[in-house]
Amino acid sequence: MWRWLSEAWAVAAKDLRTEFRTRVALSSLGLFALTTLIAVAYSVGPFRISAEDRPFLLAVLLWIVVFFAALAGLDRTFVKEEESHTAPLLRLSASPHVVWAGKLVFNMVLLALLLAVIVPLYCVLMGYRIELVGAFVVLLAAGGFTLAVVSTIVAAIISRAQGRGALFPVLALPLLLALLVFLIQGTTATAEGSVEAVDASLRAVVSLGGAMAVVSAMLFPLVWND
Amino acid sequence: MADGIRIVFSDVAKRFDERVIFRSVAGEAAPGEVLAVTGPNGSGKSTLLAILCGLLRPTKGSVHYLLAGGQELERAAWRQHLGVVAPAMSLYEELDALENLRFFARVRGLEDAEARCRGCLELVGLDPARRTLVAGFSTGMRQRLKIAQAMLHRPQVLFLDEPGSNLDPDGRGWLEGWVLAEQAAGTTVVLATNDAREMEWGTRRVALAV
Repeated sequence: MWRWLSEAWAVAAKDLRTEFRTRVALSSLGLFALTTLIAVAYSVGPFRISAEDRPFLLAVLLWIVVFFAALAGLDRTFVKEEESHTAPLLRLSASPHVVWAGKLVFNMVLLALLLAVIVPLYCVLMGYRIELVGAFVVLLAAGGFTLAVVSTIVAAIISRAQGRGALFPVLALPLLLALLVFLIQGTTATAEGSVEAVDASLRAVVSLGGAMAVVSAMLFPLVWND
Repeated sequence: MADGIRIVFSDVAKRFDERVIFRSVAGEAAPGEVLAVTGPNGSGKSTLLAILCGLLRPTKGSVHYLLAGGQELERAAWRQHLGVVAPAMSLYEELDALENLRFFARVRGLEDAEARCRGCLELVGLDPARRTLVAGFSTGMRQRLKIAQAMLHRPQVLFLDEPGSNLDPDGRGWLEGWVLAEQAAGTTVVLATNDAREMEWGTRRVALAV
């Protein structure tokens, strides 16, 4: 088990090292998120939505910004391996599950960075007040994990296809719709201070994330090897 | 020699959509042998090597890895025993030579990784202390690094696709010595080449036609 974790971490560390040297995915994610956030902040702002609608509508806008930013950059992890012709040696050197876990960790780190920057900024710019901060952080973590799981497997599927730039959001979005709904419900509940509703949403997100992780881990060797 | 891996392939064909690359190719390479795959450009030498090392599935035919006792190695286990040098396989340009080898050593779970990585780099004539990223390497240096990567885990089977390309005369001389030493040590070597000198290393030959 330790050896497996060490090998998976080697894949993630390699990706993080190359990413911090080139900043391709980070730029895509960060620039998309920042420009969308600024556009939302200027066009909607903190005062154009009535107090009654704020918890829900601001949750919708927050997750739309996060989802589309993620779709703009999280496919790079596999696409880059194929485009730079490093994928064949990786296939011959590491087991498929090690590659899957390493790429998942890499996408989780990118998403964690994105969420750490965008969410506080969004809350300040939009005046979004969260009542249950602890539950909100747990929801962000569970949502980020599930988003990373789906992005990783879809990125692997599209990486060997032609027209992959357009394929990623087209394939990922239907898989992410349920997650988007649960996260919006959960975030609304954290803003309203409704513990029961947060609990239900959190359970749904964690269940979805767990199921997606199991299916992805089983599917990945087939996608990666053929 | 007794511990080596014999590769046997028969009736192997490959087609991409309607384009036939080759039909019904057969051959074998035993431990201590060099199988030279020859043929003009576009005849499918690299494709055959990709099939033999498990990166591609043949449209028809079969490939078997046989251990000394005759038992067959499962396809999923092939990669642990292979070292591959091929023009279509690149190393990570954003890492330096030592970082590249460290990565491959770690994902292969090698013990004594640091010493092995440094040793392999020195063997192919690259300086382990040099921090230049691979993006700044010449094509010859990249080829040397690919060879270092292929020998890192001391594989029992070597697939070498145009291994001497981009190497200077010294490098070619070193390469010949290395391949012949591997052959003498019982490694199974499969070589795709059009170079007359490299063809001479072959103890068996498979000739492909366009």
